[in-house]
Amino acid sequence: MVIPDYYEFSSRALIMAGHDALEQIPGLLLSMDAQKPMVITDQGVRRAGLVDILLQALDSRITVKTIQDDVPADSDLKTVHTLAGEYKKYGCNAIIALGGGSVMDTAKGVNILVSASSDNLLAFSGANALTHTLNPLVAVPTTAGTGSEVTRVAVISDTDNLRKLLFTSDFLIPDAAILDPRMTLTLPAPVTAATAMDALSHAVEACLCLGRNPLSTAHAHEAIALISHNLLPVIRQPDHKPGRLALATGAALAGMAFSNSMVGMVHTLGHAAGSVCHAAHGACMAVLLPYGMVYNLHKTQPLLADLLLPMAGADVYARTQPADRAQKAIDWVDRMNQRLHQATAGAHAVCLREIKSQDGKSRVTGHLLPKIAHTALGDGSIFYNPEDLDYDDCLMVLEAAFDGAPLDPSRVKKG
Amino acid sequence: MTDFMEISPGRHHGKRLYLACMLWFFGRAVQAAARVDDGVKSEFAAMPDNFTFCLGAFPSGPYMVVGKDAHGRVRHLGSSLADRTIHLHLMFKHPALLFRVFAFQENTPVANARNRLYVLGDVPQACAVVRIIDMVQVFLLPRFLAKRAVKRYPAWPLKRRTLIRAQVYARAFAGL
Repeated sequence: MVIPDYYEFSSRALIMAGHDALEQIPGLLLSMDAQKPMVITDQGVRRAGLVDILLQALDSRITVKTIQDDVPADSDLKTVHTLAGEYKKYGCNAIIALGGGSVMDTAKGVNILVSASSDNLLAFSGANALTHTLNPLVAVPTTAGTGSEVTRVAVISDTDNLRKLLFTSDFLIPDAAILDPRMTLTLPAPVTAATAMDALSHAVEACLCLGRNPLSTAHAHEAIALISHNLLPVIRQPDHKPGRLALATGAALAGMAFSNSMVGMVHTLGHAAGSVCHAAHGACMAVLLPYGMVYNLHKTQPLLADLLLPMAGADVYARTQPADRAQKAIDWVDRMNQRLHQATAGAHAVCLREIKSQDGKSRVTGHLLPKIAHTALGDGSIFYNPEDLDYDDCLMVLEAAFDGAPLDPSRVKKG
Repeated sequence: MTDFMEISPGRHHGKRLYLACMLWFFGRAVQAAARVDDGVKSEFAAMPDNFTFCLGAFPSGPYMVVGKDAHGRVRHLGSSLADRTIHLHLMFKHPALLFRVFAFQENTPVANARNRLYVLGDVPQACAVVRIIDMVQVFLLPRFLAKRAVKRYPAWPLKRRTLIRAQVYARAFAGL
């Protein structure tokens, strides 16, 4: 481990994790003098009955003023402004975000507006544009993937201008993250697989990219171990509560890691594919992760070799020659994708062309790859990638990932 | 209080002068490259007209201001932020941190990864500006220094490495 000559690490979210964690929310809200929360969620979460479980956990001391369940799959500017209006209309003084990454990011956007009494979210976009503390925000993730419940980041779509706005600030870290396995028990296997691979990609990129530091790496290694050892057992036995809690903890740890070290080309290309094709983020991450590892192999070999230990365990690590460990870690991710593909009866995508919409159509089509590559050049995560990427590099990786073909390391331009 | 001698905080005048000179010449080189190099031209072409960005050090400079006017012409606008609308700030948190980059001790992506600078403005435009900075560094610096300044030294064709580079240098000196 080479310690950088300067680094920063911040993770101030209170983590409340356990099989009855939801029941801690009333006391938490009271301690923050926030008895009148707004619940922000989406319709899928509501249909799954998770809002009811949350409401049962809240006692009479807490008055939920309104439940807003219109958050789209991609958090967007209009929704944020609408919900901020509802927050004011109902006289709320806190937010409970109940959902996946989109709900979390929407809630962060709403919190910016209502805390600043502003009606212009664009004024706060970019890095560190926020200069004040926000109202209480309690994050209850219903997927084990994005880590948004502990990150200082929010991504919100500006659909009118076809762009994604990035917000980063320590003030965006929620006051508390509630990790309760009841919230993920009903998650379908393909979604569990894709979101967990999203978390794994956070952890792996946190270890490999330019912003890595000893604290983010420590969090990321533990995240990789928890996800690696629990993902397949949970896919085979979805109601396995300890496994669900381990995945949720792994996702939160990975969130803390990448929130401080940032991420690289796997997210650069994944964000662009999501933006251009509306492909599910977790599925893109699962497919692109091994490609990012191969692309950066020449610059990160010792770091990648270290990842084999939390991924495959001590026996495999000890049996593998040191020079082979990095490649073995890449192979392990490939094999995990294959096993998830089999365990979900083919629903877990192993190449970009297999990422489907709900009506079964391919989200990513070959003729859109150049547009994805072009869009990727405008994603801020590109700077954190160990190796440089230009348009041709992005297209080369996308073309390989589209068909699931191996990426030839000799074609990677080395700096 | 009058019993004590007032001590003013020290300033590194030499470093500041070095940075001011580097930024001045670098700004002229950006303008020159925008006239003669297709790579830099295409990055500016994607930016809106009347777009201005600055690169500098917090809290009081030095700065380099470059803008694209209403006719799409790229100009080095000097070192003053006064009376200008700056659409994108690439700001190092201290002149000493900017010095590390211009003394080729650290490249811009590493400085960014180590939280030494902040960006105020549109992220895709910031990405384009960093690519322009990288290209201009490759034009201006000998290979052994440029390799420390950019993440990957590009494999440019001979014409770009020789003729276009000479044009960038000549125009930067002449202020064209």
